[in-house]
This record gives sequence, C-alpha cells and structure tokens, in this order.
Amino acid sequence: MTSPRVRRAVVALAALAVLYALAAELGHGRLPDRIWLGAHYVENVQLLPTFRSLAEEGTFLVESRILLDSIAVSTRRVFLGLLLGSAAGILLGLLTGWAARLEVLADPWVTFFRFTPALALLPLYVVWFGYGETSKVLLIATNVAVITLLGAHQGVRGVPAVYLDAAASLGASRWLRFRRVVLPMAFPTILASVRIAAGLAWVTIVVAELIDARMPSLGYLLALAGAYPRVPTMLIGIATVGALVLLFDLLALLLYARATRWMERVA
Amino acid sequence: MTASAAAPVLEAVGVGYTYAGRTPTVALEGLGLEVRDNEFVALLGPVGCGKTTLLRIFAGFLRPATGTVRCAGSDIDGPGWQRGYVLQEVAIFPWMTVRENLEFGLLAKGLAPSERRAVSDELLGLIGLSAFEAAYPKELSAGMSKMVEVSRVLATDPSLLLLDEPFGALDAQTRARMQDALARLWEHRRKTVLFVTHDAEEALYLADRIVVLSERPGRVRDEFAVDIPRPRSFETRFSARFLELKRLVWEATGARGAPST
Amino acid sequence: MAIRGEWRRTRKSWRRSADRWWPIARRSWLWLISLAALLAAYTLVARVVARPDIVPEPRDIADAFRTLVGRGVQLAAPEGHHHHSSDQVETLLMQGVTLQAALAVSTARVLFGLLVGVPLGLLVGLLMGWSRRADDYLHPVFILVRSVPPLALITYIMLWLGHSEAHRLIPIVYAVAVTAVIPTYHGVRDVAAKYVVAARSLGARGRLLLTRVVLPAAGPAVLGGLRYSLAIAWMTAVGAEMLMAENGMGNLLVGGGMWSSRLQTRSDPAVIIVGIVSLAAAGWAMDAGLRMLTARLTRWVSG
Repeated sequence: MTSPRVRRAVVALAALAVLYALAAELGHGRLPDRIWLGAHYVENVQLLPTFRSLAEEGTFLVESRILLDSIAVSTRRVFLGLLLGSAAGILLGLLTGWAARLEVLADPWVTFFRFTPALALLPLYVVWFGYGETSKVLLIATNVAVITLLGAHQGVRGVPAVYLDAAASLGASRWLRFRRVVLPMAFPTILASVRIAAGLAWVTIVVAELIDARMPSLGYLLALAGAYPRVPTMLIGIATVGALVLLFDLLALLLYARATRWMERVA
Repeated sequence: MTASAAAPVLEAVGVGYTYAGRTPTVALEGLGLEVRDNEFVALLGPVGCGKTTLLRIFAGFLRPATGTVRCAGSDIDGPGWQRGYVLQEVAIFPWMTVRENLEFGLLAKGLAPSERRAVSDELLGLIGLSAFEAAYPKELSAGMSKMVEVSRVLATDPSLLLLDEPFGALDAQTRARMQDALARLWEHRRKTVLFVTHDAEEALYLADRIVVLSERPGRVRDEFAVDIPRPRSFETRFSARFLELKRLVWEATGARGAPST
Repeated sequence: MAIRGEWRRTRKSWRRSADRWWPIARRSWLWLISLAALLAAYTLVARVVARPDIVPEPRDIADAFRTLVGRGVQLAAPEGHHHHSSDQVETLLMQGVTLQAALAVSTARVLFGLLVGVPLGLLVGLLMGWSRRADDYLHPVFILVRSVPPLALITYIMLWLGHSEAHRLIPIVYAVAVTAVIPTYHGVRDVAAKYVVAARSLGARGRLLLTRVVLPAAGPAVLGGLRYSLAIAWMTAVGAEMLMAENGMGNLLVGGGMWSSRLQTRSDPAVIIVGIVSLAAAGWAMDAGLRMLTARLTRWVSG
C-alpha cells in the first residue's frame, strides 16, 4: 500500500546506488590509481571505491571509534554554537524588532556581520582566541546569531497589525501583547531561521576543522583522508557529514511542524 | 431561431468525482447536466457542494471518475480556449498590463499584433476600461480585475464560458454593478455560459435556467427556468415574478432552516 | 499627562517601523552616530588590551589597508605615514598580492559561480515544481545532494582534478545551484500554479506558457532567493580560497600561501580586518545591486 511518491523516491535512490556501484566496478581497472598530489605521486588510490571497500573501511572506522569520536566532537561544537548563537540572536532580534530605536542603533553591526562571509571571521577569531574549541564555537555562534537575529526581527515585524489592535482593544498591556501575540506569531519564522542556521553551522564547522585540523573531528578526518589520500575514509566522512546535516534538518523540521500545528496548511 | 437538434454545448452524464487523501471526499456523485447553445445557466449550491470540481471537470483540468462529459458532442480532453474558464481566485496576470492580459489568448492563437489590438480595443470599450489599458492589475479594483478576466476569455471567442463565482469576493453594491456589466456583455456577445454561484439572487438576475445542487456529494437537486424577460435591469430585482422565483429557489436550496421549537 | 500619552500611542503604527516613526534624515544621523560609537568602542578596547598584535588600533588597520592597496610602492612617504609590515603582509607582498587584485579574483569566482549555478538550479527547480512526477523522483536525490556541504567535497574533487581552477569553482557552482532550487521550486509550484490554469484555459501551451506565464509568476520568489545564493557563493568562494588557493580574498585572510604553509606565517589581524571589511563591503555592494535589479524587474508586484 505504498503511495506512488514513496515508490518513486525509493526507485530514484536505488537507481543512484546502482549507478555508483556500476561506476565503481567499471572504474576499478580503468581509473588512474596514481595521483599527483602537489609535490609527489601517490600510488594505489581508489578514485571510486566499491561498496565493499567502503563497507570495510566503515567497519574499521566505527570499530576503532575514530568515526564516533569525530562525530561526537563536531556535533558538540555545532550544538553549542547553535545554542549560544540562537539565544543571542533571537533575543537581539526580538528586541530590535519590537523597539525601533534599538533597531537603528544595532543596524551597522548587523549589516556588517550579515555581509561578512561566515568563514572570513575564522582567521580573526584564531588570532584573538587561539586555535581550538573557542574560536570554532564562537565562529558558529556568530553566524547563527546573525541569521536568527534577522529571523526573529522579521518574525516580530511580520505580525499582522490586526492582531495587535485586537489585543489592545481588549486591554492587553504592552508586555502581554508581546508575550501572547508577538511571540507565538513570530515563532515559526524564528524556527525557520534556526533551521537555515543549522545547515550553515555544519558548513562552517567542516571548513573550520579542515583549516585547523586536530583530533578528533570530522574535519580532521577529511583532512587526514585527503593527506594520504585514503578515499574510502574521505567518502565516508563526507557521507557522515551529509547524514548529520540531514538529521539536524529533519529535527528542525519536526520541531517546526509541531510548533505550527495551529497554522493553516497550504495544500 | 431553429431548434437545435445538434448536440448540446455541454453534456454531463452520471459524473462522479472523489478527492483522494487521508479521508477520501466524494465531491460529486451521479450528476447529470445539459447546457444548450446560447443558454445562460446558473449552477447554484452551498459551499463545498462540488461546484468548483464540476467546473474544473468541464474546463478539462480534472477527469471524472465515473460518467462522461462532452462538449459539442466530443469528449473533453483537457483545457483549451474553446471552453473559457474564469477561476474563483484572482488570476489576472499581475505582470502584464490590462491590454496585454486581454490579448493573451489571442497571442496564444497566433494573431498578428494589429488584429489583437482591434479585439482588445473593442473589449476595453465594452467594459469601460479604455483609460486603464496600460495600467497594471495592482492599480485596479477587485471588481475591475474580474471583469478583465471575464473579457480575457471572451477575446478568444470560445463556444462556452465557465465562470466560477467571479463576484464572490466583492461587496454587495459592486457585485450588483458587476452583474449588470456581465449581463450587458452577454447580451452584446451571446455565448453559452455556465455560471457558478452560491447567491440565489445573482443566479436569478443573470440566468435563463438555474440548476440547484445538493450538499456534498453534489448532485442535481432541482431545476428552475427563469422566465423573466430580458434585458433585465435594477427594477427587475423587485418585480413580482423575481421575488416569487426567489422564494422558490431559496426553499429549494434549503435556506429555510428547521422550524423553531 | 496620561491623556496626552494615550493620544501619542494611538497615533503610532503598531509595527513600530523605524521608517515611519522617525524621518529618514534623523535615522541616517543615528546610523552614523552608532557607527562612530562602534569605532570608538573598538579603539577603546584596543587601547585597553594594549596588544597590537592581537587587537590592532584603527591606525594600524588603515596603514595595512594603504599598504595592501598600494602594493608597498616605494614612494617617499610623508611624515607620520608609515608602511605597515608583518609576516603576513610580507608574504603577501612577495606574492605580489594587492587588495584590489584579491578582491577582483574572488568576485570573478563568485560571478562565475552565479552565472553557471543559477541557471542550473533554476532548471532543476523548474522541473521539480512543474511535474509532480519529476518532483517525486528528484526531490529525495536533491535532499541528499543538498545535505553535503560543498566545501567538504573539495578534498575529494582535488583527487580528480588536481589543483586547478575548476577544482575551486565546482564547489561554488554546486552551492549556488543547490540554494537556487528551492525558491524556484516554490515559485513554480505555489505561485505560478493558478496562473497556469488560467493561461491554459486561454489556449496557451509550451513555450508561450513557460516564458510569458510561469517565469514572470515565479520571478519574484526566484529573485528573492538569489540574494541568498549570492551570500552562499561568497562564503563558498572564500572558504575554497582559504583551503586551496593561491589568490583571492580567502588566501589573503589566511596570510598567503596554501593551507599547509600558512601555519608558518604569523597572522596579522590588521590585514585580516582589512580583508573582512572589504569582503563585507563587496558583499553589500553586490547585494544592493541585486536588490535594485529585483525592484526593476518586479515593478508589477503589488504591496
């Protein structure tokens, strides 16, 4: 009793897997396995590892705890960064959305951070806070803060005036209006911005860890795999990052769906 | 006028349609309808009775689950300019001027610019929007936008007009004026019209025949021939015959609720 | 007193839009004051911390700017006008890097990414939004593709293409294409849908339908998403340059040279700040340009 949608999705994904397996098999004998790596040649590189070698590599990585530790470290950084960043960003966004005076005051700061590419701040943070946890987490936090600030700001501004008017004519104080009208209505927009920020946080952490590669982290895994090079590890690392991004995204989506149960669904 | 023994312009027999979903909804069931040449038929029914579904089937966007629908004797195969369809929602193209909107169907037909212009000039004059020919829809009122949409489908000279509650979103006075405009337009360019509405008075004012649909699942509940002479005017709304018919129609639609106590 | 306060409150718009609340002129003043306050605060912090190698004073930053732009031209410098020097600057000067050149290179990469990535994303989004069937097949694949950060792929791509320009550009194109799909998808599916019904009832089909109805209708949504694609393009370009390039702004920020050698160069925060501010300025400029273009193309949009 599967709907055509589910069937087609399965077909598409299966086709992808089959295509890859075919490519890997075909490439086995034909692809070059000697790669020029900037200063020297490296032998025995599998450009398209077969599923078998991927599975073997994967088992090794999991059993030796390398993969799991890396996941733990990177996830922790992303999570921390998201927490700090959204707390700061949402708070500031709500304030600047609600009080126009504050908005104008904060505007130069926000505009500056908004147009700075996320990663550009990394070297600066490294100079200020040294290599290590702080600079990375702060980098993510900064980016998340900017995105959630804009989201919260937009959420507050986007509340239809009618609801505020109605609340006022029912005698609600400013504080009550904020709490019971603005916040619930702004919440979906805020959540949506958190979702976007989460995706960006992962992009940021991967690159930050690639640049400042130290054990254990997913970026380091990728960097190490790139240095040898050890392609199966690389692909597994990439796939792991992708899976984590997907997981965070799904969680955010679930949260969003729950929080917006009262909203009318557009078909 | 020779009595036409030819196929009716629109013919539906035993039409049924069900919307899939978590809870499948039967929108139409065993519905039969006929619209003859140059007739103005009003389809009257409560909200949710399947009027829009039926119109979409006639327009060619939906295929009936059961039964057949035919236009001028042949099966309906998809949307086309021969069955001009005006949606319930606002569908005037906001990125085109009024004139460009009117000429769009002609553009699709492949007419030359001069030919298109001639037609759009005439239509602009008919609906009294010549001054707005180069305006964008955002500058028009809701009523004017709808008239542009109606004129837009008229431009291609279809054999059938399908109008889905075009004046539903307007206030009473504007609606009355639009009804007048539509009536005048129709008398100027006789076409076969199937007009969906939930407003009995509107149906009586505009139509030659009223078909009353039941609540969901929709099927034909009653039919009325509107024998009020044309052209109709403001006064018509208060004539004895009009009020008499209105009472009949209202009772047919179940407007008279359950007796109190 | 209470009555006057009451009256004032009812006159103000609830949305508290700063635009309506204070006239533009006063707003600009406040903006400048805020900016000045930002600079003053920074200078204060710099003075207090008193570690010019970590928190450079504005003067140092200005000097670094001048040096990088002027490429260390050996002119007779007027009194008090000294050339900024540090490991990082030296490395850069050795490579003949100037701020303008680096910015130009990065901008070129971003533009390339947009020029190739946007049509790609548009195509996929159009296909998915138009045909339910295509959507059912493509959407799951798209979700997978979207989940992989393009820069994570860069080490893998390097194995295939070596250190070439393509190797750096592919992640940018990839990132742009991916971000362009969703707005297009929604624009076609949600916005254009009802207009398509009307247009088909007027006999339109094929190319006419696409160019005169679908594209204009979906236009605003697509253009709105383009600003986001622009931001992503910049981020990916800078990231790629930080990891794997010998030129461009990313390279400038990490002190010149490849990432394997950058550890040997002591980073100069003044240069970094100059780089960051330049990037922000460039990003802002391109965004403003895009906003103007969008306004031009969507003059017909109401509200």
